[in-house]
Amino acid sequence: MDYSYAKHKINGGIGADDQFWQGLEHNEFRLSRCNSCKNWTWPAHYRCGNCGGWEMEWVALPPEGTIYTWTRSWYAFDRVKERAVDVPYVTVVVEIPAAAGARVMGILEGSEQGLKIGAPVRGLIKPPSEKTKHYPSIVWQIQQ
Amino acid sequence: MTKLRGAAAIVGIGQTPYYKRASAPDPEIKLALRAIVAACDDAGINPRDVDGFISYASERNDAQKLMPALGTREVKFAALTWIHGGGIPGALSIAASAIAAGQAETIVVYRAMAESSTQRLRVMVAQDDTAAQYLVNGLESPAQILALRSQRMIEADGVPASTLKVMAQVAYYHARNNPGAYGRNTVLDDETYDNARWISEPFRLFDCSRENDGASAVIVTSAARARHLAKKPAYILSAPMGTLAGGGALEENIRPYSRAGQLGVATRMWAESGYGPKDVDVAQIYQNMTGLGVGALLDHGFCTAENAGEFITFDNLIAPTGKLPVNTSGGDLAEGFIHGMGLVTEAVRQLRGDSVNQVPNAKLSLMTGGPGDTMTSTGLLGTEETL
Repeated sequence: MDYSYAKHKINGGIGADDQFWQGLEHNEFRLSRCNSCKNWTWPAHYRCGNCGGWEMEWVALPPEGTIYTWTRSWYAFDRVKERAVDVPYVTVVVEIPAAAGARVMGILEGSEQGLKIGAPVRGLIKPPSEKTKHYPSIVWQIQQ
Repeated sequence: MTKLRGAAAIVGIGQTPYYKRASAPDPEIKLALRAIVAACDDAGINPRDVDGFISYASERNDAQKLMPALGTREVKFAALTWIHGGGIPGALSIAASAIAAGQAETIVVYRAMAESSTQRLRVMVAQDDTAAQYLVNGLESPAQILALRSQRMIEADGVPASTLKVMAQVAYYHARNNPGAYGRNTVLDDETYDNARWISEPFRLFDCSRENDGASAVIVTSAARARHLAKKPAYILSAPMGTLAGGGALEENIRPYSRAGQLGVATRMWAESGYGPKDVDVAQIYQNMTGLGVGALLDHGFCTAENAGEFITFDNLIAPTGKLPVNTSGGDLAEGFIHGMGLVTEAVRQLRGDSVNQVPNAKLSLMTGGPGDTMTSTGLLGTEETL
């Protein structure tokens, strides 16, 4: 498969999360854990710091969690100018209980009613777009 | 205690004016040269004799480029501290280590920034190393990423949002006495702060550091030599760098989350120096954003999440009468921002008795590095009698 994200690759950070983006392009929410000790490794890395294993497995999970923290951006910063039309927009960090509390970022979509730390949210996978720099993404909605 | 305690001292400080970003009259490397030569003049040292060069983060005016203009006799040591603003005062620690190990004798620690020579400063400091997980989700600036941390500190840990305002007001109050401060004409009363536009909640405009063109430098040499030079030495008692397990490049998965990531370095600094929070006379707290300055005070043990609202008050934090005067030159918010390097020079001025907001008889002067960075550092400077 020709992945959109791969054609628009952002080089930054550790960069071991290709399978996360590939998963989203296949409409799956996958996080990584160590094949040996089953420790959740997020953000993804190349070696398990817990047991020393080199093999990771990518597990499809239900996109469910709670808001760990959030911010509402009122300014279109230089490298995310694509979002200027959406200002102000809310980005959330979501804690995923099924992955031992791994935290995943995403845009909050839909009603902001009940926006607070601890609020339950559900993820919705979106295809690549200009706003997401041609990467697929997962957006989150507050469960009312 | 380590072998480095008091082994080296800052003996010269030099700085260009703070210019509006992209408006410095000189290119970045010339600003670096001006600050370094000024620091040498202050120390009474010939610039030719500087034999070590240390900086941090995205500094690119390296020794190779500077030495022809300084007339350098020999470069014996040069290093760049990894990461971002978290790199100072760790850069001082590298200087002290090199001096103690006999690798170099006279080391300059410096930082120069000019937008016209590079790119938008707030982009440049990120070193093109922001993970896709952020950029895809509308997060780019340190202001936004650190906003996530401070939102949690306020909403989940219960630290009052008023502490952010206090940190901003203290900085602007001190800047009013500083003719060199970029924000000296701003009277930051409650109304001005509260009515300023949001940048990224919980941060408003005045919660954010500035971006200036400029350069700042300090000269570090051995304690033995420092005693024979012109200026009162500021001894480096301890300046550890590092990160505890649970920290690092973890894309908002750091644990603990909501403070400054300085618990490890602060704990080591108190142990290495033999002093504690109650002993500190004055503190320069690196503030990319006010909320992280609050986090630094928590991590250093000046207060807890429970009593932060009682400790972090305007009266407690202003010179000369407060319990812990902070950011006495105006700091990153109100004096100007050369990636935090201006805080080092102010920490030294306090020990010399030369600050525009002098704390009487200051002997122990703290300078904390960039908070919320993937790795960070902190440093305690002291006068001769603190050794």
